[in-house]
Amino acid sequence: MNSPLARPLASEMGPPGSPTPSTLSPAHRAAATTVRSLRPEPSAGGDPAPVAAPAVKVDIRNVNFFYGQAQALRDISLALYDRRVTAFIGPSGCGKSTLLRILNRIYELYPGQVATGEVLVDGENILAPGLDLNRLRAKIGMVFQKPTPFPMSIYDNITFGIRLYEKLPKAELDDRVESALRRAALWGEVKDKLRQSGLGLSGGQQQRLCIARAIAIEPEILLLDEPASALDPISTQRIEELIAELKTDYCIALVTHNMQQAARSSDYTAFLYLGELIEFDETERIFTHPKVRRTEDYITGRFG
Amino acid sequence: MSAEGTALARGAARARRGTLPDRAFHALTLLFALLVLLILSGVVFALISGALPALGEFGFGFLTTQAWNPVTEKFGALAPIYGTLVTSAIAMLIAIPVAFGVALFITELSPNWLKRPLATMIELLAAIPSIIYGIWGLFVLAPFVQQYIQPALIETLGQIPGIGLLFAGPPLGIGVLTAGFILAIMVLPFISSIMREVFETVPAVLKESTYALGATTTEVVWQVVLPYTRLGVVGGILLGLGRALGETMAVTFVIGNSHRIHASILQPGTTISAALANEFTEAVGDLYLSSLIALGLILFAITFIVLALAKLLLLRLDRQAGR
Repeated sequence: MNSPLARPLASEMGPPGSPTPSTLSPAHRAAATTVRSLRPEPSAGGDPAPVAAPAVKVDIRNVNFFYGQAQALRDISLALYDRRVTAFIGPSGCGKSTLLRILNRIYELYPGQVATGEVLVDGENILAPGLDLNRLRAKIGMVFQKPTPFPMSIYDNITFGIRLYEKLPKAELDDRVESALRRAALWGEVKDKLRQSGLGLSGGQQQRLCIARAIAIEPEILLLDEPASALDPISTQRIEELIAELKTDYCIALVTHNMQQAARSSDYTAFLYLGELIEFDETERIFTHPKVRRTEDYITGRFG
Repeated sequence: MSAEGTALARGAARARRGTLPDRAFHALTLLFALLVLLILSGVVFALISGALPALGEFGFGFLTTQAWNPVTEKFGALAPIYGTLVTSAIAMLIAIPVAFGVALFITELSPNWLKRPLATMIELLAAIPSIIYGIWGLFVLAPFVQQYIQPALIETLGQIPGIGLLFAGPPLGIGVLTAGFILAIMVLPFISSIMREVFETVPAVLKESTYALGATTTEVVWQVVLPYTRLGVVGGILLGLGRALGETMAVTFVIGNSHRIHASILQPGTTISAALANEFTEAVGDLYLSSLIALGLILFAITFIVLALAKLLLLRLDRQAGR
């Protein structure tokens, strides 16, 4: 994918190895302004520093991951902050989705997949044996690349997760459905057809239905695995607006192939390559002053 | 110019060479396909024409009377029809839940190393010839049922007024229940392998997103896997039913071959196919023979309906998956 952000940079960049992180080319500075203007809400008044350091919600420590004999992640350590969006970027097969799938232990459905190390969610190691997986997954919602509405009505899609945990009277369920759909910016489009099948919606609507379904059980963390990569540009924009909206309440991890999306939607970015965490920093720094050569090559479209 | 000419000529030659063998092959395969239709209609025709004398003599009453008397030449198909339906029902009652459990275990729960051996072993059950099932049923299963299962049933369920009638009488070993047991074992591999296949059609992402909501395996199975595959599951059950209805040899060995309808499933009975297998050699009168052929026609109609339903459901499942 060639991002318009990256293309002019790549052409102006010197031969590999010449610019070091300390010497900034004018191209980098140009990129800095581009990134800022691309962001949905530019912070007012030239923001010298973030107001307060955000709280760590998920602390990933020395995580390794194996598909049978093959090691997919090597010694990953990074933190996800509460009420912030952290993007995982990197070329296909770099392990970014794998890292996401560790966070709710969904990988365990498949025998032979093993994670080692520690992942602390609110201080509790979720990789510890004997952990209540259902409780964990109630706290961590996940949305997949392909929209996966259940083969049932829109209403039942939302209440499905709620019913797993709570027995609510009809009126309260109705309220929960409405608020989840409103939060997912879908209510206006579906409020008159809640009894129709979720499969009848468009791709973008289905994806927002899946987001609504995930937030209906009131999680604290949202894992988004390339949530917009199967969608058209307009639906993608709506999803991105939604992410900006949702991060006021959730800790969000976003896997994306789309560098502009990472630049626009995230506060922090982790760049993974061949199973290793190459660089992790505030998104703006990653896209303007990457410390590592490889990160720079990737975000400027030189490879990947 | 000349290059173009030779290319054209080559193309034409290739086309010529293609047409004749292609046409011959087309005709040949068409012939084979038509042959199947021809055989099928031939069988139907033979059954109908053979059954006509009996159907003409007894009319609709053939379906509703129990009498089966070769001496007075009074024939009614009710007892075999009843036996066929009841043994198949017992078989389904046992085989469906077991097959369901087997298929679920293999697709959702089993550790990887056990999946393949288990699936293969279940399918090997289908490779055992039915005569073997019959012999095993008569010499091993029937005595076991007589000694342990039937006395237990008579003492427990048999004592309850009403349904006690189903479990009344002496424990004979052979009978409708034992035939149902054998049939259950025989259709199990068919039902479970189809269930397994349709369970595997559930997209992994759909299951993952259910698990990601915090659902347990039980909830995933009942609320997502089953609703998603219900057509295929029903189709598999009907295919198994089709086999149970037509099974002959194993049933003939253990059912007792009595042309009477007993309320108790512990007592002997007969099925259409068992009656045919037993009596064709001794059917001397024309009416007797015709009555047996009429029985065959009835069985054909029953299994045809069941299999057609199964195909229809599986077809709809394919269309659903292809969407």
